[in-house]
Amino acid sequence: MIINTQSLVLLLLCLTGLVVACSSPQPNTQLQDKHPSQGDLGVKPLMCSDCHDAQDQAFSWEQFNHTAFFPTQHRLQANQHQQLCSMCHQRNFCSDCHATRVELKPSLKNQSETFRQMPHRGDYLSRHRIDARIDPTSCFRCHGNPQTAKNCVKCHG
Amino acid sequence: MHTCCGSYSRLLLRTIYAQALVLAIFSFSFAADFNVTSETLFRSFERDTKSGSDELVLPGYEYLKLDVDRITNQSLSFHAYGWVRHDFSDSSYYPEESDGELIYAYLEYAGPKHNQSLRLGRQHVFSGVANDALDGLSFTSDLGDLFSVSAYGGLPVGLADTAGQSGDVLWGGRLAHHYRSFYNIGLSYQKVDNDDSAVTSKVGIDSAFLLPMNVGLYGNSVRNMETEGWAEHVYWLHLLVGNFSIRPYYEMFEYDDYFDAGALSGGPFASLAHSGETLDSLGLDLSWQQSPDWTFGAKAKSYSYEVNETSNFLSLSATWSGDYLTRVGGELGKMKGDAADNDYLLVRLFFYLDHLADKLWVDFVSGDGLYTGYDQEIYGQDYAYFASLGAGKTFIDDALQIKLSADYSKDPYFDNDLRSMLTVTCRFGAGQ
Ligand code: HEC
Ligand code: HEC
Ligand code: HEC
Ligand code: HEC
Ligand code: HEC
Repeated sequence: MIINTQSLVLLLLCLTGLVVACSSPQPNTQLQDKHPSQGDLGVKPLMCSDCHDAQDQAFSWEQFNHTAFFPTQHRLQANQHQQLCSMCHQRNFCSDCHATRVELKPSLKNQSETFRQMPHRGDYLSRHRIDARIDPTSCFRCHGNPQTAKNCVKCHG
Repeated sequence: MHTCCGSYSRLLLRTIYAQALVLAIFSFSFAADFNVTSETLFRSFERDTKSGSDELVLPGYEYLKLDVDRITNQSLSFHAYGWVRHDFSDSSYYPEESDGELIYAYLEYAGPKHNQSLRLGRQHVFSGVANDALDGLSFTSDLGDLFSVSAYGGLPVGLADTAGQSGDVLWGGRLAHHYRSFYNIGLSYQKVDNDDSAVTSKVGIDSAFLLPMNVGLYGNSVRNMETEGWAEHVYWLHLLVGNFSIRPYYEMFEYDDYFDAGALSGGPFASLAHSGETLDSLGLDLSWQQSPDWTFGAKAKSYSYEVNETSNFLSLSATWSGDYLTRVGGELGKMKGDAADNDYLLVRLFFYLDHLADKLWVDFVSGDGLYTGYDQEIYGQDYAYFASLGAGKTFIDDALQIKLSADYSKDPYFDNDLRSMLTVTCRFGAGQ
């Protein structure tokens, strides 16, 4: 009966959320669906703080700057501000790198997009032995369940 | 020849078709916006398989994405994405000739206020300690200006193969407190049951603080509630000084708590959960926007352990950005430590020349080259080369795009491996 108690807790959480959210008399801080200046984006490296005032009260913008290290370091930003990502990114954009089973690694599925910073470029079968020995923690975030490790078990049993 | 086509992928195909049909009906009857993107990939390469050597393998992939917006009104939408693969050759390279996966398929209600959203169906949830696909329900909302909440629950897609999906449950949520840009603190919880035996339960804290001088302090900590130990602490500063983005960080992982996920952590990570290992890392990421055209990056990281031998990694990169997506760049990386079998040198050079239509017949050409040198041989070889060339052209106002690429590699696993890939992307839609 464990499922029932849990679903109940979940349902209650959702309902409480809805009730509190709908009844609280706060100003509407709803984000827009689409980022307004789509046309300018992707032309040069994307620094939010070039257009958005760093002192602006709503966000500390520089944390979203798409710097050289953003493609591997967006963990917290994605968790805390996910709706912001979808203002510019299509829903399946994240799935090339974050999905339960995709078979093709991101740099293979999008092979001609050489300007992107994708993990596992080139011969990763050899290099992964070293990377994984040195720091297996990041691997576990993307390959940590039986489905996401499906292609690994042919060698790892 | 098509007899071993798995019932799984047939089911998937049927699901996608059924959805397409439902959506078509939806979009006609409610005047919704309807968008479809189809990406078809044809690859070719040679492999040694059980039935012979250098056998030609010809897999075709179809990635289908459906978005239906404004069903009945502004707030209701449906989104789906999945792939199927079929090997058109007679090779026995793949365990199953056809395969596929439904990556997401959910109905979303986006409320007009408080950034509310309710999703029902297969979806991927990122929420504090959660980074999982589930078949179920999720909900997010702001609670006034100072709080937001998210909650989710359902069947974990990642466990579908361990004793079936029926007894599995994944649920959790995140409560965040924030004040303007000054701080944002989230507390999250997740529990996964695999057939009634608790597999994981963990609590996480994610935090962001804006300090004076525009310095940001960020971090995550995760505690494993089953082993009752801290699995990770990752903290960093983010400074913007002129055109420099600077990110010093500290990371700590306790393997026995981090990798202990019961039946979840099979395969490659199984031995790590009882290794008694601790990893401490210090690092610095640097990004310098020298001008609108030039970006330079540097990354330095040191790894020290309880059991393993220490290592250090250093990399430098430079990228020139031209018009549109035009980029030319390179990267040099070196891993060096006390154990020689962990040492390697990595060199990458790439180019992507965009918007060539007035000069060439194609819209873009791209190239990529990678060299890795290993201090100790892997299967008798101490280097790996990889090179790739591509080109693409769009037609009919971006509704159709064709890309062709070929790559070559010579490495410890493959000797003179040549592969090619053709990608055809079609976009079509209706409505509005
Ligand atoms: C080329 C300039 C430019 C860049 C770069 C840019 N933006 Fe914007 N952004 C704008 C403009 C213009 C608006 C509309 C301003 C308004 O509505 O007040 C906007 C609006 C927004 C909004 C909506 C504000 C609101 O209150 O609804 C968000 C959120 C946002 N941008 C996020 C980002 C993020 C995150 C980045 C970096 C990844 C970014 N932007 C990069 C120009 C830019
Ligand atoms: C204002 C629009 C905008 C917003 C908001 C935005 N992005 Fe991006 N993102 C882009 C563009 C444009 C690119 C491609 C830029 C480039 O290549 O320089 C990109 C690239 C990326 C990449 C690199 C992909 C690759 O393969 O190199 C990642 C990862 C990414 N974004 C994640 C995120 C996440 C996570 C968020 C939310 C926290 C986010 N983005 C918010 C516009 C945006
Ligand atoms: C080009 C590949 C790529 C794309 C595209 C991408 N990510 Fe990531 N993502 C990564 C990498 C690499 C990591 C680093 C894993 C690590 O070391 O923590 C990561 C980590 C994350 C994490 C932390 C995961 C965890 O378990 O803690 C989240 C959350 C995340 N990404 C969200 C997103 C979202 C949302 C998008 C789409 C807007 C996105 N990512 C797009 C490559 C990508
Ligand atoms: C952001 C998510 C992400 C992270 C982080 C990540 N991977 Fe992957 N990896 C993928 C995806 C997606 C694929 C392609 C599909 C698959 O095989 O599951 C893949 C494929 C692979 C492959 C097969 C490559 C090939 O050439 O066939 C190996 C090996 C691998 N990953 C190892 C690792 C190791 C080791 C780490 C940690 C150092 C790691 N991965 C970190 C997402 C990730
Ligand atoms: C072609 C075979 C092959 C595939 C496929 C493969 N690995 Fe490995 N992996 C190896 C070998 C060989 C080693 C080195 C083992 C050693 O040094 O003892 C290794 C080492 C590792 C390690 C380090 C283990 C340790 O105890 O330190 C991890 C973690 C790992 N691989 C993860 C993965 C993941 C995740 C995938 C799938 C995404 C994957 N591997 C796919 C062959 C493979």
